[in-house]
Parts: sequence; C-alpha cells; structure tokens
Amino acid sequence: MDLFSNLMLGASTAFLPMNLFYGFIGCLLGTAIGVLPGLGPTATIAMLLPITFGLPPESALIMLAGIFYGAQYGGSTTAILINLPGESSSVVTAIDGYQMARNGRAGAALATAALGSFFAGTVATILLAMAAPPLAAVALNFGPAEYFSLMVLGLVASVALASGSLPKAMAMIVFGLMLGTVGTDVESGTPRYVFDIPELYDGLNFVAVSMGIFGICEILRNLENEQERSVSVKRVTGLMLTKDDVKRIIGPVLRGTALGSFLGVLPGGGAMLASFASYAMEKRLSPNRAEFGKGAIEGVAAPESANNAGAQTSFIPMLTLGIPGNPVMALMVGAMILQGITPGPNVISDEPALFWGMIVSMWSGNLMLVILNLPLIGLWVRMLTVPYHLLFPAIIGFCCIGAYSINNSVFDVFVMSGFGVVGFILSKLRFEPAPLLLGFILGPMLEENLRRAMLISQGDPTVFVRSPLSLSLLLFAAVVLALVLAPGISRKREEAFTE
Amino acid sequence: MLKIKNGRDFIGGLTMICVALLFIWFGRELTVGNSFQMGPGYFPVMLSILLIAIGALIVVQSVVVHAEESEPDMWNWTAFALVILGPVGFGLVLSGLGLAPTMFLLIVGVAAASRYANWRHSILLGLFLSVCSVLLFTRLLALPVSAFGPWVPFLGSV
Repeated sequence: MDLFSNLMLGASTAFLPMNLFYGFIGCLLGTAIGVLPGLGPTATIAMLLPITFGLPPESALIMLAGIFYGAQYGGSTTAILINLPGESSSVVTAIDGYQMARNGRAGAALATAALGSFFAGTVATILLAMAAPPLAAVALNFGPAEYFSLMVLGLVASVALASGSLPKAMAMIVFGLMLGTVGTDVESGTPRYVFDIPELYDGLNFVAVSMGIFGICEILRNLENEQERSVSVKRVTGLMLTKDDVKRIIGPVLRGTALGSFLGVLPGGGAMLASFASYAMEKRLSPNRAEFGKGAIEGVAAPESANNAGAQTSFIPMLTLGIPGNPVMALMVGAMILQGITPGPNVISDEPALFWGMIVSMWSGNLMLVILNLPLIGLWVRMLTVPYHLLFPAIIGFCCIGAYSINNSVFDVFVMSGFGVVGFILSKLRFEPAPLLLGFILGPMLEENLRRAMLISQGDPTVFVRSPLSLSLLLFAAVVLALVLAPGISRKREEAFTE
Repeated sequence: MLKIKNGRDFIGGLTMICVALLFIWFGRELTVGNSFQMGPGYFPVMLSILLIAIGALIVVQSVVVHAEESEPDMWNWTAFALVILGPVGFGLVLSGLGLAPTMFLLIVGVAAASRYANWRHSILLGLFLSVCSVLLFTRLLALPVSAFGPWVPFLGSV
C-alpha cells in the first residue's frame, strides 16, 4: 500500500534518535510556553528559528512543529488547574476544566484533555497523510493565475474567520503585502524602498519582523498592565477516568476531532476557532448540557480534541500548497525557505523524507506529550511561579541574539525593535497583527504570480476568470467576503467570538 | 459638522492612508509600467491605492458607527522606551563590548521596565543569562561574536 510505505519512510526519518530528540525538545519547549501566559507560540517559534539554522531541515521543522502542538497541550494544563489559559485556544477549556478542578476532579480533567488531544492528533495526522498527496497533485497543475487566486482566497478567508473588524484586518493584509515589496524586485532587479541600506536589498527579514510584532510587542502590552500572579494548586490526584467518564467523552471527542480537523484546514481557522466552535456545539448537543459551566467533562473533551486536531490539520495547506493559514504556519513557511526548501506542492515529491518524516513526527510528538505531560504537571505548575519580571528580560535577550544570528548582523536587531514600535502602535489602534504577517510572507509570491499570469495573458486581466479553477477560487473568496459582510451573519460572528 | 464617533478608528484609518502615501512617495521613481509589463512600481502602487481606499472606509465607519466602550489604555512610557531602546543599544555596542557585557547591560536595562524589578534580581539574572548565552551561542552555536570585545581591556579579543 502506498500510504503505508510512505509512512514507513516517514517513520525511518522521524524515529532517528536525533529527530526524536529535537521533537522532544520542541514538545517540551512548546508545553513550557503553552503554560506561560504572555508568551505565545508565534513569538517563541520566531525566537527559536535562528537556532534551528544549523540543523538539518527535517530536525528543524520537526522541532518547530513540536513547539506548535506542544503549546496546545500546555495551554490546557494551566487552564484547568488555575483557570489561566496559557494559549488562546484553551480559553474555553478553562470554563469547565477549572470547575472540574475545583470539584476535586483535576486529574480526570487533565487526563481527558491529554487523551482527547492524543486521539485527535492521531486522527488528524492520518487525515493529513491521506489528504496531502492528492491535494498536492491537484496543485501541481496550478498555473500562476490559479496560484494568485488561491492566495487571494487564503488571505480573504484568513481575515474573514478571524475576530475583529473586517476593514481593519484587510488593511493589515495590504500593509503586510506592501512591506513584502521592500527589497530588490526579482524580475527587474530594481531596488525598492531600500533607502540605500545594503541590508535591505534582500528585503526585511521575516524573523526580525515577526519577533518585533509578536515578541517585543507582546512584552510591551504585558508590561502596561503588569500584575503579579499568585499561584496555589492542590496536589493533582486521580488521573484515571471512570467508566462513566469514558462513556461521556467518546461522543464529544469524536465530534471535536471532526470539527477541529475541518476548521483547521481553513485559512485563518486553526486551533482557536476549532476549540470555540466545538464547545458551542457540545453545549447544544450534549445530553448533560445543564452541567456545562459547572464542570462538565464534555466541556473539556470537545475543545481539547478540536484544538489539537485543528492545530494538526492547519499543516495541510502549508505543506501541500505552500500557503500558510495562520501566523505560525507563516513562520514554518519562512523556516522552510531559510532551509532552502521551496514550500509548495513539490515538497512531497522532492523531499519525501522531510514531508513524511514531519507527519510521522507529529504522531510521535503527540505520544510524547501524553507521556510527558501527565507526570510533569508539577513541574509546569512550578514554572508558573517564575515571575514575569524575570521572564521578559530573558525573552528580550534571546530575541536580540536571535535577530542578530539570522545574518550575523545587528541591522536585524534594529528591524526587530522598529517593528516592535510598529506592532505597538497598531495594537493601540486595535489592528490585529496576524494578517500583517500573513500578507508579508505571501506578498512576494502573490506579486510574482500576478506578474507571471499577466505576462502570459499579455496584460489581459480576464485570465483570472477564464480558468475555471481560478474563477471558482475567486468566487469562493467573494462568497466568504459577502457572507461576513452580511449583517445577520456578522452579528452571529460577533456573538461567537464574544461567547 | 461631523462628529467622530470612534476616535481610535478615525486615527487608525488616517494612519493607513498616510502609510500608503508614504509608499507612493518613496516609490515615485519606480517604473509602474502597464498591466502587461508590470514595472517594479506596479504592485506597490496598486496596493497603496487599495490601502487608501480601505483607510478611507475605516475613517467613514469611524464617523458613522459608535465605538464600543473600552477601557482606557494605560501608558507606560518608561517601559516602552526601555524595551524598544534596549535592543537598539544591544545592536550598537555588541561588536565593541562583546556578547557577555552587552547581554548583561541589556538584561539589567530592560528589567528596570517592570514595576516589580529589583536590582539584586536584575543583576543576578543578567549574570546568569550572559553566562548562558556565551556558552550557548559562542561555544555551541559558534556565532561570530566573541564573549568580550575589543573595548574591554585585558579580556577582550578582536
């Protein structure tokens, strides 16, 4: 069987001791940052990217992926134990998880979260392995026009599904695309917006930009409203689930996995949307809906399965089409480019060991997380007692060295600082930074495909609507946009996000 | 006279328009070309026009739609200055002082941005992180930066 042999190839890469080691490091770091509020996966991956330069591509990507899904696990631990979601995707887990902990069922809640996540991760990994090759095969036939339309769809959908004002998110995308034009124009070799600074000829470095916008800016926002945390946690006991518990979580886990897998594939979807949506769904469907908010085990099982499934399947568009759906995937695309791999449908055929290795590593990583998380809960809780005033200088220090090490030049450190200011101003004006990064990463690809398509069609803009595939992608984008703008739905959307 | 109902968005929209105008201004020497043969200026100019349109939309919305009540922001200028200028200082003195002293100064400097900071903790943290970063980055990862730079007497190396 083809899938089987592919997975065997992946296993032979993923189970190399070195890759297992880096996967482990990634999961460990991911859990740690998931536990710590005020430090998200985007900032961490940006910070650690430079360290992975020296690694082989497989190990680097396995480690970075581990950070991403590790963060989903870590976030739920603190959400359950102290009602402090470390990650935005575990906000809803805190509702019922914390109530369970208060009722003395913290162990059961943690075990539910871990097992639900593991199950969802396994299913999503299999889904990824099955869906990726056919998708990539379709994408191989894409011409520049189809690629252009696909990217437009990706960008439109990513703002439509995100929270906040639509025009402002669109503005961020366009601003990001514009920042992507800084540097030497590939076709003509003309420098653009470089102001005679030699370092800018290669464009703004995306690692420095994202460290500024996410890392430095997050610190600034946290410092504005700084509070010392007081943490007190009772000993966690009773990790075993009862027969009744198991019966109650099977349905929610299955539904959460299905919904999460679906939402994860959509651009802008991913883990957070998945967890919110599945919680809302369980609240309507569950026979125990009266218990929701008072410690229903379903309220932990569903969102935790959904967010992990979503985190996993959000790799699908990134790995098969080279189109990132969220900022973390944008950084993964950047990491691949830095490793000399062009993200896109060719990755499967050109780098099968990397591709399948990464997929298998997601499964092994999830297994590691289950084994790692439950016994180490004490350690994670103790980490929370590290006060923020000791944490943030260390983050800044690592960001500085990280930015420096990209090109061994201090210019990137200045870029990082500068984008810290940009990010801060934008957050003061209530602009979301995530679409900006997506636009920034996709900008050069979007421009290249636009120019190629127009060159082929000899300047005829109807090329984008003449190809049926491109037309349907654009129509889909228009429908998504229209749906969000429709008054009834936009009100529902607000409700969904405020819930 | 129109009354602005959402001051934050009004400024936000204007900022976007200004950004777009800046891009057009600094890109004025780039050839725009036509849709068949796009010059290097085509894409940025097109985006700038789009951004002006979106900015204008945000401005219009800010005049028409009421803002939701939100908590007033707190401004912490000291923290802001330290966190932004810390890395700039890091960049300026890194080659001269070397990694260890630069890291120490950076940590002690930015730690002061927190209202819970105390000097003893900051100095200990600074020492700890400089040792760690020297071990990790100059020894293990072999960054081309020495632990002590030429400005440091006796210890420094070029």
